[in-house]
Amino acid sequence: MAAANLVRSALSGLLRKSVAYRTPVVCRLSTVALQQKFQTVKSYCNLHNDHILQNEVQCQRIRQYSGAQTKLSSQQIEERVMKVCKAYDKLSVSQLKVDSHFMTDLGLDSLDHVEVIMAMEDEFGFEIPDADAERLVRPRDIIQYIADKEDVFE
Amino acid sequence: MEQPYRKAVLNLYKSLLFLGREWPQGYDLFRKRLHKVFTKNSEETDPEKIKIMIKHGEFVAKEIEALYKLKKYRTMKRRYYDDSS
Repeated sequence: MAAANLVRSALSGLLRKSVAYRTPVVCRLSTVALQQKFQTVKSYCNLHNDHILQNEVQCQRIRQYSGAQTKLSSQQIEERVMKVCKAYDKLSVSQLKVDSHFMTDLGLDSLDHVEVIMAMEDEFGFEIPDADAERLVRPRDIIQYIADKEDVFE
Repeated sequence: MEQPYRKAVLNLYKSLLFLGREWPQGYDLFRKRLHKVFTKNSEETDPEKIKIMIKHGEFVAKEIEALYKLKKYRTMKRRYYDDSS
């Protein structure tokens, strides 16, 4: 009898355990499904946003190559420089200002700096020599340099 | 702080980045890997070793060029000739 009792208690323990486990498992599954749904919605949103941004860039490209190019104002140059800086993934938007130093304030190394300069070359469509690129350590320097190149004055 | 090879290294980095634009797995991946490789050796101070590394970098650039040419050739071959023959 004692043995039977033991067996029964063990079984009941098992049973109870399985019941106790079932609910959390179900809950967890439902949350996973929910999260997946959320993720897909989020990724759709991201895709959509990317698309808009790409269109914006393309519009600018088209304007760049068209023959009747209007002269850039220094305001426009500043806008575009800041846009390129923000597009770079290691620059957080919150700290970025026109006068912040790329290396000391924003924590970029010289390799990142080269990448930023390359992005600027792409955006404005001319090459920046290495000797000049080394001096362009703030967004303001870049704006000034491009304004000089494009003959834009205040 | 004397860095005689600074310019050469940055130049190499730039040209490699340029080549990486058409990387099959995407420019972002290439950029991250290149950055990692360059930072790994950034503490090197022996000029001879740096020279060897720059040589190696130029070699890698040539390899990438060859890779693109091969890819182009294979694509053309696939389009012009039937695979089964």
